[in-house]
Amino acid sequence: MRIAVFVGMALFTAPSLAGPALRAQGQPQTDAQRATAQARQQLFRSKHVPHEAGFRVFIVPDMEGMGSAVDIHEVIAGNEGERYKTLTSPDYWDRFRLLLTKEVNATIAGARLAGARSFVVNEGHGGNMFANVLPWDLDTAAILVRGFPKPLVMITGLDSTFGTLMFTGAHATAGSPGVMAHNFAFDSFTVNGKALNEVGINALMAGEMGVSVSLVSGDDVLIAETKEMIGSEFVPVITKRAVGRMAAITYSPARVRRMLQAGAAEAVRRERQGRIRPFTMARPYRVEFTLRASYPDSVVTAVAGLSEFKLEKLGDRSFRLVTDSAREMGYLLDAIEQAVLR
Amino acid sequence: MSAGRSVGLTAALLACGGALQAQGQPAAAAPPRDTTPPGAYFGVTEYRLARQKLELDTQNSGFTVYIIGDMEGLAAVVRNATEMRPVDRGGTPQHERFRQELTDEVNAVIAGARAAGATQFIVNEGHGGTLFRNILPEQLDPEAILIRGYPKPIVMSTGLNPKVDAMMIVGAHANAGSPGVISHSFAFDSFTVNGRQLNEAGIAAFIGGEMGIPMILAAGDDALTAETREMLGPLETVTVKTVFSGSAAAGLSPARVHGQLRAAAARAVRRARAGQLKPLVLDRPYHVRFCLRRGYVRDDWVRTTVGRLPGVADGGTPGCFVFTTASAEEVGNLLNEIEWTVLKP
Repeated sequence: MRIAVFVGMALFTAPSLAGPALRAQGQPQTDAQRATAQARQQLFRSKHVPHEAGFRVFIVPDMEGMGSAVDIHEVIAGNEGERYKTLTSPDYWDRFRLLLTKEVNATIAGARLAGARSFVVNEGHGGNMFANVLPWDLDTAAILVRGFPKPLVMITGLDSTFGTLMFTGAHATAGSPGVMAHNFAFDSFTVNGKALNEVGINALMAGEMGVSVSLVSGDDVLIAETKEMIGSEFVPVITKRAVGRMAAITYSPARVRRMLQAGAAEAVRRERQGRIRPFTMARPYRVEFTLRASYPDSVVTAVAGLSEFKLEKLGDRSFRLVTDSAREMGYLLDAIEQAVLR
Repeated sequence: MSAGRSVGLTAALLACGGALQAQGQPAAAAPPRDTTPPGAYFGVTEYRLARQKLELDTQNSGFTVYIIGDMEGLAAVVRNATEMRPVDRGGTPQHERFRQELTDEVNAVIAGARAAGATQFIVNEGHGGTLFRNILPEQLDPEAILIRGYPKPIVMSTGLNPKVDAMMIVGAHANAGSPGVISHSFAFDSFTVNGRQLNEAGIAAFIGGEMGIPMILAAGDDALTAETREMLGPLETVTVKTVFSGSAAAGLSPARVHGQLRAAAARAVRRARAGQLKPLVLDRPYHVRFCLRRGYVRDDWVRTTVGRLPGVADGGTPGCFVFTTASAEEVGNLLNEIEWTVLKP
């Protein structure tokens, strides 16, 4: 259990990463400063990745579901905050960065074989503050979104110009028997009463943009639960079978890359044949979530105080948001992240 | 310039190691101040000397390009704490890979400029992460002259002289207050000349402009390239990343960035040789107005010391000052003295 808590925390408990000038200024205090911060937030939310012609693929690589990865030391850099300092070793995280990058390259190669021409990779893993892929070893055609914070977290930069969305190295949801299972900052997260994992939450936001999920890779638990949540039209790639929260029967990195390449090619073919539908749900969305029991009360207070969203408090650490916009749900995820940081 | 360099400089130069302060956050109980006037370390005389020395090595004919290499605007850079500082200054080993990237980007613009007929290359270290020793000398184009180390007079324009034909800046970051990755500007929250906002690239262009040297290429994130075109006109720019927060961006592959830098540097030199890129020339006298970074404004000693620098007058708002002169070089020297002042313990 603790492991799962630690891994998930990596996404949400890192130190402030504002530039030095901003850090020196601290939190906005006057009305003018608040207005400036708000204007900047609107600007960042409205930005797009550079446009490219051809079939566009948006790839979200996470680390816990990669082939071979079983232990937190393999996915944490050690600079995410005090409690992570001892949870890394250069023999582990550095090595897995390269494996991660190669998994993404294999996915791009497969998609390219099936005719894709534009690739955006958005770091989905919070280790090293969303900077795990090695930029110099990544396929040179790819645009890489790295760093933190970013407005839509795991799908920052996605828009309706993309032909498909793929998740590699994804992990199973909080409380499930998957390797390093967790779900953002939550012990539970449902929309209209339906439990969603990280893939599902992002699939809903993407679905609203008309973009569907064509490939998901991770352990067997993740694949099974994701089919339940968003349907089984996507191409599944099982990288390993979980036999414990930090143990798995895993395929070799080379074999995983082969499966990802073949899977991504099949995924693009399915998309181009119109065989995969975007994941949608009935509006308004009734979003209900419970913050992790392991978070201090100050986090709950901060989330309760998020004035941008009309949150209803349902219990000690449970809230409800009713909205017609999945994008607003994404902004809420980002805001909760900020609240956890404070 | 790295906003985070003050810590290491202070410790290294004045042997005050241990009392490390966060950038822009003067310690509450300040230790005794070193009140040595800036001129005693380096000032007008030394800048002149540096200029004369570089002039000896600057060719009389051909086309000489002066390249400033900063780091925050390099491909893939998003985070100050882990990527812009070496281990011995509170950073991580990740910094080392970005030194290579800096060297590669400088080499790319040299290759492009050479293809368009440039014949001499002077490279000035513009980032303080390792005390202005970031470029890997053995991997830099062997024909380039490299200016490295600190202190050096007018850090980002050291040795600039009228024999130089054009300036370029790579790895540049956006101005203080701009929505860019690790955006900042020297010790300032704002810096204007005759009412025009200038970022670090703009200030270098202003100092070079008086000698007739145009800034012909700037590379960095989309905030930097947009604001620099606004400040300096239609110079060549390479946007290496699109900003999503002060520490997140969508970046092109380094390999693609190098290709774009080569092409842009070649275009820039061709346009400069055809007389299409003009130096930044402002009306004299220059009315400089600057506001210190908020962290420095709270530091009484820094505020007072800067206020007493020769020619500096109160700007009406606490921490803001005005300075009027007919010489851009004097503005450079003022910058130098302010930098020296804020770096003291």
